[in-house]
Amino acid sequence: MSNDVREQSVEQLALQAPPQDAPVHEADVAAAKTVPEVKPKQRPHARERRAVAGRAIVVTSGKGGVGKTTVTANLGAALADAGKRVVVVDADVGLRNLDVVMGLENRVRMHSLDVIEENCTLDEALVRDRVRKSLMLLPAAQNRDKDEIEPEDMQDLIDELQEKFDIVLIDCPAGIEQGFRNAVVGAQEAIIVTTPEVSAVRDADRVAGLLPNDMPARLIINRLRPNLVRKGTMMSVDDVLEILRLDLLGVIPDDKEVIVATNRGNTVVDISGSPTGAALRRIASRLLGEAVPIPDMTEQQAWFSRVLSGLRFTRSSAAKG
Amino acid sequence: MKGNVYVVTSGKGGVGKTTTTANLGVALARLGKQVALVDADIGLRNLDLVLGLEKRIVYDVVDLAEGRCQPRQALIKDKRLPGLFLMPAAQTKDKESVTEAQMAHVVHTLGADFDAVLIDCPAGIEHGFRNAVAGADEAIVVTMPEVSAIRDADRIIGMLGTRRVRIVVNRVRPEMVKSGDMLSIDDVAEILGREILGVVPDDEEVIDTTNRGQPVALDGTRRLATIYTTMARRLLGEDIPALELQEDGLWNRIRRIMVGQR
Repeated sequence: MSNDVREQSVEQLALQAPPQDAPVHEADVAAAKTVPEVKPKQRPHARERRAVAGRAIVVTSGKGGVGKTTVTANLGAALADAGKRVVVVDADVGLRNLDVVMGLENRVRMHSLDVIEENCTLDEALVRDRVRKSLMLLPAAQNRDKDEIEPEDMQDLIDELQEKFDIVLIDCPAGIEQGFRNAVVGAQEAIIVTTPEVSAVRDADRVAGLLPNDMPARLIINRLRPNLVRKGTMMSVDDVLEILRLDLLGVIPDDKEVIVATNRGNTVVDISGSPTGAALRRIASRLLGEAVPIPDMTEQQAWFSRVLSGLRFTRSSAAKG
Repeated sequence: MKGNVYVVTSGKGGVGKTTTTANLGVALARLGKQVALVDADIGLRNLDLVLGLEKRIVYDVVDLAEGRCQPRQALIKDKRLPGLFLMPAAQTKDKESVTEAQMAHVVHTLGADFDAVLIDCPAGIEHGFRNAVAGADEAIVVTMPEVSAIRDADRIIGMLGTRRVRIVVNRVRPEMVKSGDMLSIDDVAEILGREILGVVPDDEEVIDTTNRGQPVALDGTRRLATIYTTMARRLLGEDIPALELQEDGLWNRIRRIMVGQR
């Protein structure tokens, strides 16, 4: 990778920024009015910036391993493809993985704590995606602690990013400790990722309750296995919605392609014909306000999976015998 | 000083800490041991659900740490198996509401009465992790053959100090290892440089049994139950050579004959 590309800074990207009278997203206006929980800012003008800023969305879940990082990386890619300037922020200080999932781990030089501590500028810390010029990664520190970041600093950082990008996606760590609070503080919207399993749904419910009351939160149900839902051994989309009562942003089917792609640092949305990639692209469109229907996966694949589950029955009985 | 205190940890979430804790606990109890399972995930507890004991919680580990109850009041006896007990976490409290010293005291108290104490650690490396690790003699690190899970496991091993660390490689899909799409057990062992306690294949049954609060190891006829029993016996000091790979080979052959390469 040549240095030329790296030196093409965010400032240059910002030159293509929409004019001042660009339409302001509703959620931003709502959020600008309602951030009373946060302490007064150290830097001046931060509030004024909000009026023209992009959207900051935190991707969270409570339970780990449900797919926050994969969803963040792929939504980032799909939104960049839709013409948006996107930055994905790894908020998992000490256990970062977004760089690996995007295949950028060897290009990370500085991280968000370096920016906060003024060891480098924001531009120096941002890493450009391999393929997409309008997609950037702000890595987390690996050898530091989550407690080393103050919520106010994180909020300033996100504010600054919102000034330069249309969409800021924040990859939240698992749990509900300091790292969670830091990831949420600068956001105006939330995406809660869950899987159709009781423990993941319980944790999602807890996280929904911990988000600020005025923060709109939408749900992604990840790793749905339509054949298990039909067998009655997995919760259905309706079962999950009945418990969580959140707006549904999308449903992503389980796919082992994701493991392969993630291990290689590839993006699932780039795999043509992948149902997972297609689901993620639909979610990106919905995030941008398009009315894309959510297909019923248990219906769609009924014929195919009836054949499959027939085979599976034969297989498991043969294996036991 | 009676039994050993083990912390079951991983760094990354969702790799199977809670499921491993529950099933190892069940397997140890089935071998006739007295086992206490401690849920250290205060605020996001799930071990009670996986064991199907969520309706029986009265006191929790925070109550015990703060002296509001006795250990035997907080411990829930699993009626399915003599010898299996759960110390539940508090759901409405913060992880910061317990100190490392308090947690260490709790598990040492339990260690005096039980043959083994297994601590289910929360994801991450924050306060909850430090609490869970504080009183542990040894560690069981659960990981999956995926780059991000291994990276987090490696980071965690570095934070466990001089404790003995054994690895559980969870959710292995043998057909993906064969096709080169997944790291092999040897790869994992080489990267992490620690002994392998056991290898658990990916199995749809686990989702179902977990949702129903019936750990898979309860039913001794199941393939996974045998695997957890082997791990439990290794924990108790038996030297059992690895057989899983052979088993997988047979399993794979049957699968290929029945459904073709998936």
